[in-house]
Amino acid sequence: MRFVIIGAGRVGLRTARVLREEGHEVTLIEPDETMVRRAREQGFTVVVGDGSQEQILEDAGVGDADALGALTGDLNVNFTACMIANHYGCRTIMRIDEAYREGIYRKYAAEVDEVIYPERLGAIGAKNALLGGTIRAIADIAQNLQIVELTITHDAPVNGYTISELQLPADATVLAFGKRDEELAIPDEDLSLEDGDRLVVLADFDVLSDVRQLLVGETPGRAAANAGAGGVN
Amino acid sequence: MVTAFVMIKANTGEADRLRDSIESIEGVESAHIVAGDVDIIAKARVETPAAVKEIAATNIQGISGVESTQTYIAMD
Repeated sequence: MRFVIIGAGRVGLRTARVLREEGHEVTLIEPDETMVRRAREQGFTVVVGDGSQEQILEDAGVGDADALGALTGDLNVNFTACMIANHYGCRTIMRIDEAYREGIYRKYAAEVDEVIYPERLGAIGAKNALLGGTIRAIADIAQNLQIVELTITHDAPVNGYTISELQLPADATVLAFGKRDEELAIPDEDLSLEDGDRLVVLADFDVLSDVRQLLVGETPGRAAANAGAGGVN
Repeated sequence: MVTAFVMIKANTGEADRLRDSIESIEGVESAHIVAGDVDIIAKARVETPAAVKEIAATNIQGISGVESTQTYIAMD
């Protein structure tokens, strides 16, 4: 696919790199000379200029791009670029600078297909590292909905059960399962849950501590405390 | 008459509530949720410059969820 990324800073350049590694074609737009040089040294095509100008976007090939990522730190530039790109029929992704704005742009910015707040993802990573071991937050799906990967421990109440015997609270669903040291896969009902196996679960925040207690075997107090730290908002 | 534009920076996602509260202030003609580094722009039309200050500094900044305001007085 073809992508236009505005902003060759930390977020933009890294995104461009990941897309290129996956075989996609990326053009960057960046006004700052130092950043332009750095991106070009890494072999990227860079259009020098302001990404909120239609001419610059055209030069970068917005006309035949599949999607545009407006990833600068400047909200005005990002929003204007999305408006123009939307007009050209591009899918649009806008970076925002403060958490509270996520909801506002999701609701009101009709020109923007998706809003991203990079700090949220950074916080998920930091939280996982801090909690360590048995529980890893993968993504926040909605305000109250999270995907977590849990590692079954020896003390877990469900240790030794099969997946079909596993009874999670109503607002939780198993998405994937992996035996110790094996890849995650769609859960097979007959497999048993044992120390070191991993389950990926989609759960409402309200039941997250119950899920943790069942699968990881945390004490109720510790599970509740961890559930409180569940969100990354 | 004095016309003024007040740029409002919020610190809450409840943009609807802020806009509605701002619009209900006497002297505020309209308020819009906008894209960019401010979240809402309100237009006020009042009798005196002092009334503009009253709207921006007292009424709008008194709403919870408003972080700061910046006021521009129209000259035409």
